[in-house]
Amino acid sequence: MEHRWSKRKLIIMKKSFINFFALLLVIVANTSGFAQKLITKSGNIKFQASMPSYEEVAAESKSVSAVLDQTTGDFASLVLIKGFRFKVALMEEHFNENYMESEKFPKATFKGKIEDFDSSKITNSPKNFTLKGDLTIHGKTKAVSVIVKISKAPNGVNAIGTFEAKPEDFDIEIPSLVRKKIADKIKINYNFLLAK
Amino acid sequence: MKKILVPFCLFLVTLAYSQDDLLKSLDSTQTEESYSTATFKALQLVTLQTTKMPAKKEFYFVVSHRFGTVKDGFDSFFGLDNATTKLGGIYGVTDWLAVSLSRHTLNKMYETGLKYRLARQNDNFPLDIVGYSVADINTFLEKDQYPGLEFKHRMTYVQQLLISRKVSEKFSIELVPSFLHKNLYNPDIERDNQFSFGGGGRYKITKRLSVNLEYMHNFDKPDFYKNPLSVGLDVETGGHVFQLIFTNSQSMSESGYLTNASGDWGKGDFFFGFNLYRVF
Repeated sequence: MEHRWSKRKLIIMKKSFINFFALLLVIVANTSGFAQKLITKSGNIKFQASMPSYEEVAAESKSVSAVLDQTTGDFASLVLIKGFRFKVALMEEHFNENYMESEKFPKATFKGKIEDFDSSKITNSPKNFTLKGDLTIHGKTKAVSVIVKISKAPNGVNAIGTFEAKPEDFDIEIPSLVRKKIADKIKINYNFLLAK
Repeated sequence: MKKILVPFCLFLVTLAYSQDDLLKSLDSTQTEESYSTATFKALQLVTLQTTKMPAKKEFYFVVSHRFGTVKDGFDSFFGLDNATTKLGGIYGVTDWLAVSLSRHTLNKMYETGLKYRLARQNDNFPLDIVGYSVADINTFLEKDQYPGLEFKHRMTYVQQLLISRKVSEKFSIELVPSFLHKNLYNPDIERDNQFSFGGGGRYKITKRLSVNLEYMHNFDKPDFYKNPLSVGLDVETGGHVFQLIFTNSQSMSESGYLTNASGDWGKGDFFFGFNLYRVF
């Protein structure tokens, strides 16, 4: 009797061990999945909208967040409009108040995918990739495709690039009075040091 | 083996971690400054100060005019023949402290001012509170008229507290308790210490246009003066702020504005003028 009982117990133990092992596998898979994500909270975005011989219209944010999933190439980025700093405080106020309406639309976002991303091919010299996705500024979303240069960095990768955006694509109104002082195409530079 | 199915499904779900979730994961990384900005477009509501402060190292040049009374009609071209001028500058020492100096045609007045922020409206505090201290120096008074005149008699002091709230994107209000002390006064008709209370507000008609209104009630004024009531229109054009105003108090100095309102709106006796700001 006693012998049979312990045999049953053994089977139960064996089953729960398999379950436990499966669970462990899931946990390990998940955590290693998380480890594949590279993130920054201090990315840099600069934009330049100056016209020659007029007052400089440019600003920079040093607190841009971005995340890259190394396994899939999925990429997302977020910046607060109020975080952009101008040289002239009044220009910054007008940027927020009149152009970007940052109370209504506090952030600009991007979500997309780096095509054919393979982390094993990243080296110390920058390599060009195509980044495709949706750029949302001023509450308006537009599909974009830009070139991003990616190189190896300590504990992650460095992604930099430049692209242009038109204010009218994002319903950002520019009154005729200042039309000639602001460029038609805004040049945007970004620099993200993504790490584990 | 059925039991393995559950964790296996879990595993699949985590693989489907999408770009949306990636973006959502960034939301928590950013915390926004909750300070209210642009409660008012300009440093002045109409003639009163607003709670707006110049930024650090920012210099504002201000030119203001108040013309003669509109009542005179074509005789003085609705007052435009009799312009009074204020020329001045305001400098932001820090983000919370500004100094100002101006010269006024009326009473050949020099005005020095100190403006300092005490509190800012944010998610945790409902009001902007700014202190404003003014010393007016009247250089129009002459020894021939007042043989005993000393320098101190030229001085008038005003202390104000500016309390504002940006109620909505378009609408902001301000309350202003104000205390004034004159070193030279005529005890038969006026008091040396005068207390006023009032305020005003602005309403944005468009992004770059707002209508402003302000009123101050002077509790210690002599009967023959009125309480200042003014209406203005802010026009913002890039680096300039242009304010068109109508008021029953011609003076642009704080003390003159509060105590010497001579116009009477009811009789069509008011003044046209403007404030022009240029930021450097």
